[in-house]
Amino acid sequence: MTLKSIYNSSWFLKSVFALSIFIILFVSGVTYKHMKNLSYSANQVEQTYKVSVELEQIISYLKDTETGQRGFIITQDSIYLEPYLKGRERINNTLAQLRELTKNNEDQRVNLRELNTLIEERLSNFSRTYANLKNSSPNNPRFDAIFLEGKNKMDEIRVRVNTMIALENRRLEERKEAYKKDLKFTPMFLFGLTLLTLILITISYTKIQADIDKLKDANAKLEIFKASANQSEIISKHGNWQWIVEDKEFIFSDNLYRLLGEEPQSFDSTIDNFMQFVHPEDLEKLSIQVEKMMEDQELPFINYRIIRKNGEIRFFKARGKKVNIGDFEKRVLGTTHDITDEVENLLALEEQNFELEQNNKELSAFNYVASHDLQEPLRKIQTFISRLEDKEASKFSDSGKLYLKRISNASSRMRLLIDDLLQFSRTNKSDQVFETINLNDLMENATQDLAEIIQEKNATITLKNLPIANVIPFQIQQLFINLLSNSLKYSKKEVKPLVHVACDVVRASEEEVIKKTKSDFYYKIIFTDNGIGFEQEYAEKIFMLFNRLHNRESYSGTGIGLSICKKIVENHKGFIFANGKPNTGASFTIYLPKK
Amino acid sequence: MNTNFMHIVLADDDEDDRLFFTDAFDELKLNTKVSTYNDGVELMNYLKTDTAKIPQILFLDLNMPRKSGMECLAEIKADTKFKDMAIAIYSTSASEEDIENTFVQGANIYIKKPSDFKTLKKILSQVVTINWQYHTNGLNKDNFLMRL
Amino acid sequence: MNVFVKFDFNTICKQVLEEKLQLLGVDYTIESFGEISFKEKLTSKKLDDFRILLGNYGIEIVENHKSILVQKIKDAITEMVFDEDEKINVKSSVFLAEKLEHSYGYLSNLFSEVTYTSIENFIILKKIEYTKRLILENTMTLTEIAFKLNYSSVAHLSTQFKNTTGLTPSAFQRIISKRKAVLE
Repeated sequence: MTLKSIYNSSWFLKSVFALSIFIILFVSGVTYKHMKNLSYSANQVEQTYKVSVELEQIISYLKDTETGQRGFIITQDSIYLEPYLKGRERINNTLAQLRELTKNNEDQRVNLRELNTLIEERLSNFSRTYANLKNSSPNNPRFDAIFLEGKNKMDEIRVRVNTMIALENRRLEERKEAYKKDLKFTPMFLFGLTLLTLILITISYTKIQADIDKLKDANAKLEIFKASANQSEIISKHGNWQWIVEDKEFIFSDNLYRLLGEEPQSFDSTIDNFMQFVHPEDLEKLSIQVEKMMEDQELPFINYRIIRKNGEIRFFKARGKKVNIGDFEKRVLGTTHDITDEVENLLALEEQNFELEQNNKELSAFNYVASHDLQEPLRKIQTFISRLEDKEASKFSDSGKLYLKRISNASSRMRLLIDDLLQFSRTNKSDQVFETINLNDLMENATQDLAEIIQEKNATITLKNLPIANVIPFQIQQLFINLLSNSLKYSKKEVKPLVHVACDVVRASEEEVIKKTKSDFYYKIIFTDNGIGFEQEYAEKIFMLFNRLHNRESYSGTGIGLSICKKIVENHKGFIFANGKPNTGASFTIYLPKK
Repeated sequence: MNTNFMHIVLADDDEDDRLFFTDAFDELKLNTKVSTYNDGVELMNYLKTDTAKIPQILFLDLNMPRKSGMECLAEIKADTKFKDMAIAIYSTSASEEDIENTFVQGANIYIKKPSDFKTLKKILSQVVTINWQYHTNGLNKDNFLMRL
Repeated sequence: MNVFVKFDFNTICKQVLEEKLQLLGVDYTIESFGEISFKEKLTSKKLDDFRILLGNYGIEIVENHKSILVQKIKDAITEMVFDEDEKINVKSSVFLAEKLEHSYGYLSNLFSEVTYTSIENFIILKKIEYTKRLILENTMTLTEIAFKLNYSSVAHLSTQFKNTTGLTPSAFQRIISKRKAVLE
């Protein structure tokens, strides 16, 4: 566990808090102890002081008594005996005090008892002295001895008192020492703890602050997100809603109200209020689905209509899914999309499409019928002309025969044109069936078809690699026929035509000429010939309908053949390109999608 | 050829085509007897009669009113009475698929009406000859397919 | 269920002939080329009966000696075209002349006179018919068929097929199989 992870864990603050409490309690405990020590020490000092004072007091009383005695001895006036008389009582009081003060100290109590004894002895000495002096003068022989005894007692008392005081002082010293010792570590310790606490508090503060910042940040982002969501709802014509499962309540977003044509939150978000807007025909369907949603907590895609208060009909599409987020109660989050525009666009498009298709069909039909029905009369013309030429030729003059010939030529030309037009319209028919077929077979059929002219021109046609592909067989066959026939027609005089057909599989991305491709792979079929070629600048024009590069006298043709090729290739979603070099030859490249 | 003449029938709604047809056979002098009918209904009405002389070859135009060539073809193929009759579709240009379809539906021959009389004679002669070959050599009529 | 059969006409005809000849109750020998020699001459009635019997099977009694020879030519050509064991290595003209013991020119003229078609055309017709059968059997490729029928190349066969029938071999195959599909 790295420091950072400890820092970021949720236990961090709790443990810091606990630690702080503990430290505080500890510190207060320690402080309390020290306070007690302090007052105890103070008490001790006071006590010592008091003891000293009392002891001094005793000495003082005794001294007073002594002084009184001396006064009496000197003056024999009993007035000086007052201290002695009062002295006993005072001394007893003092002793009582002292007993109280030293009750906890065994040594002192011993001392005190000793002192007490000594004081008793002194006082008895006083009495004996007084008794002695009562009847005689101080010069009597007993007097010195008693007086000396008295002095010695007094000295002993002083010694004892000093001992007691010394003891008290020593005790005070000892306490002071102990106190000092205590005091030595305590400040550092407390300072250290306080420092630690401060550090912990600082860390906690930074963490809390950081967390707060994060929260603020997240909050701000949330606000932005909310605003953006609202915005997107408006722009994309969505209305979000929620179904709170436990409470069986709905929440509608502002935009949902707007979709209904109402002001946001202008009525309670209940299902009944919403249903008011639903189109009567869709009401049942929607109600059933909503009920299901309340059970399953899921609303699959459903389309229905609503009618706004202003009578406008809108198309809606709704969807809802169950969601569990953190501690929140189970909800179904749903979204309703106003798809009226899409629906209307689609309808418009369909209509347009239909019209176009109709148009196309008409044009195709027209084209076909025109070409087809034009054939009949033309054929008749040609046949009757041939009959004339056969049967009645002798009856015609030379110019008559010539005219007949010319008519015949013109009709042949028309025939070619109509044939090609018919072929062109046939490639337009949309109902073509694709088959998987070997292109080599189609190529073979094409060469068979052109067998006569191939033989006539002594042409050689070579093939390579034609694949099996999914095509419209007759159309591809026609394509091959048209291209081969072109190569043969536009061959160089006196040169044997050579046509080479090769095929490769290529990737659309590697071929520059193919743009906007639908497939990845294409069959690339190239027809190359050694004919008269053409100028590359016409490479696109030649595929245009009726476009020719030569006049009728040089080469026959209708200008439709290559357009048919282009149409066929387009029917297969492929491409065709031409390349020509005058006097060298031409090549036609066909791309057919490989599925 | 056979001392018995060959019976040929044409069904075509076009007057000129019927004329060409009969003229061609006249000039061919092939010992044939040619009958023509103006549309599919007339043709089938004749063929269905019990006394009908089943022709060796029937030439059938496709585009006829009331009953088209394909409809006639279907009816003919459905009746075993005509199993020995060769059927030649005689029509103006049709697409490759349509031509193949006539064969698939049972036609033996497809002829694209030529625009030249000489060619017509040649074609008709060829058809008649080949048909006779089939007839005399016991060749399999089912495989008799020809396109001109 | 469908069962496909192949006919060997020679065997069938022979069999029928045998059966019918038995019924006649006359001694006979079947020579080659559709020639039957009877020990005794048949009465015209018996001959008529026989003719009727055979007529049911599409077998004709050929009267005319020219027709007979033509029939022999046809049979010889058939043998040549259907040459299973590839015994015949000579030109057709040579083969026919040898087999029928007439000059080829004579045979050729006779054939054209009677059938209104040339021997060459007939040979081609036969070959193409055999080709059709082989195509439908679907056991040989077109190349193999071309080889079997002594064409110089498969292209040659295709060309001749197309010239004769107007259809390519593949178109022919396609049409026949589509016909079968329609009948099912």
